[in-house]
Amino acid sequence: MAKLEILEFPDPRLRTVAQPVTRFDAALARLVRDLFETMYAAPGIGLAATQVNVHQRVLVCDVSEDHDRPLTLVNPRILAQDGTQTYQEGCLSVPSIFADIDRALTVTVEAEDVEGKTFTLETSDLLAVCIQHEMDHLQGKLFVDYLSPLKREMVRRKLDKRHRQAATA
Amino acid sequence: MSTVTPADTRAVAARALAEIALGGRSLREVLAQQLPQLPQSRERAFASALVHAGARGWLRWNAALPRLLQKPLPRRLGALQALLVLGLTQMEDLGVPAHAAVAATVDAARALGHDAQRGLVNAVLRRWLRERDALLARLDADAVSRARLPNWLLQALHADWPAYAASIINASNAEVPPTLRVNSARGSRADYLQCLAAAAIDAQAHAWIASAVTLAASLDVTRLPGWFEGSCAVQDGAAQLAASLLDAPTGARVLDACAAPGGKACHILERSAVQLTALELEPARLTRVRDNLARLRLHAELRVGDATQPATWWDGVTYTHILLDAPCSATGVLRRQPDVRLHRRASDLPALIAQQRALLDALWPLLARGGTLLYATCSILRSENAAQVAAFLAAHGDAEALPIALPAGRADGPGWQILPGEDGLDGMFYARLRKRTAC
Repeated sequence: MAKLEILEFPDPRLRTVAQPVTRFDAALARLVRDLFETMYAAPGIGLAATQVNVHQRVLVCDVSEDHDRPLTLVNPRILAQDGTQTYQEGCLSVPSIFADIDRALTVTVEAEDVEGKTFTLETSDLLAVCIQHEMDHLQGKLFVDYLSPLKREMVRRKLDKRHRQAATA
Repeated sequence: MSTVTPADTRAVAARALAEIALGGRSLREVLAQQLPQLPQSRERAFASALVHAGARGWLRWNAALPRLLQKPLPRRLGALQALLVLGLTQMEDLGVPAHAAVAATVDAARALGHDAQRGLVNAVLRRWLRERDALLARLDADAVSRARLPNWLLQALHADWPAYAASIINASNAEVPPTLRVNSARGSRADYLQCLAAAAIDAQAHAWIASAVTLAASLDVTRLPGWFEGSCAVQDGAAQLAASLLDAPTGARVLDACAAPGGKACHILERSAVQLTALELEPARLTRVRDNLARLRLHAELRVGDATQPATWWDGVTYTHILLDAPCSATGVLRRQPDVRLHRRASDLPALIAQQRALLDALWPLLARGGTLLYATCSILRSENAAQVAAFLAAHGDAEALPIALPAGRADGPGWQILPGEDGLDGMFYARLRKRTAC
């Protein structure tokens, strides 16, 4: 297992649209294991392959406190969604920025598991937020894209400043 | 995705309320610091509503605690004390069913790290329910716990506004949704009301204040249509009267002497293209003026300086219009700032009155002949308002008060007083002072 490097906004590679997974092989299983290790270490509650510069439609998440409800979605697609909720989201690719984002309250998702078996999941609240957030990554989209231009510019300046400080430290 | 570790909403509210009521910190500051630990917007809204209600009800429900406890709580259990006040507030003021309020408050005690006191919390709230009628009668027998206002303020209200004291007390304890000021430089109020309707936000045009829109319920203002594009700002209707009373025309040279947070300065700029200097004593507060100007796409000259010491910042060119929104007791806005009643002391008044007088005296020479100085406070105390201005007029032969007539409030001495709740407005005092051209 290996911990992978997470790309950070505004890295252009985060804008890549991921390709569907066609081979459910050992390499995919290894990628999923590495995604979990990277996510738990961060710590985060969700991670998309895009964020570690692998452009395949794979995401992992676990919103439990005890890291005992890991969920892997390969080629996820939303079948239905309902309601709205607002959650203060953060992103491992946009460190220490949190902002209120509106999402569907409930989503029904169809996906394959790591072995290629198709399943359907209906979920709401935080897990629904997390799945929608990670699915955005697979389309090259970040949560800051939902912010107003003024606020997004503030985020960019804040991160630029932090990157400069990190570079000189 | 990453997230903050979610905290217990009531525990966050209790900690915040303890810092405000027992630690003397301002509600606004404490909420800005504490709420971000709640990731869900509806939890933040609930915690904020709890803290506001808890501060409004503190002088009543905190007074009930000695009768419910065997011995006073030690100082280190301040958050627990605030939690008990919030428990009573939820049952009595917010209509939370008793069993739900008790259960949630006991759980919040654990979240506060006071596991050992869960039994105590349960016992106190159940005792309240058993002895409620007798305890309510006792609270109503005491003027402070009945009115939820400090004694010094009750005395001042009865002295200044005997006929209105009861309605002022009621209005000061009411929960009021925000009022918006539509930025007329970016669109009409009618258009903005349509945007609100399209966003399913229930709102109404104020009957006679042209820029004001009253919302039916509180909400996260950043969700308002066009918020980041500067379509509107949050400002009580009474404060929106300042710009029209000052009535600075295009090209006027205007000073806003105590500008932060900048709502009135922005409104003056939205109305007409004036040359405005926004002066503020505290650099940190000037940042809020800058942010508001930027969001509303307006321009002003910003200066840090003490308005009572013009020699340190004034460029020597007189102003045609000066707005002096003076530091005051804030006794007219208790309904929006429920912590003021807990922090303001009678002993603060002499210093405030002296400061207002010093500001008037120092700024008057900066006003051009024929120019207008608008004196404003959010106070309802005559010593800061009518008496203050009357004394100024007596000492300055070249000053005259121009009449004010508005659909709400009444003339009081040389100015105009709106009391809290009148036409849904905050309590504000205005006096329009003109510098005579010859004397």
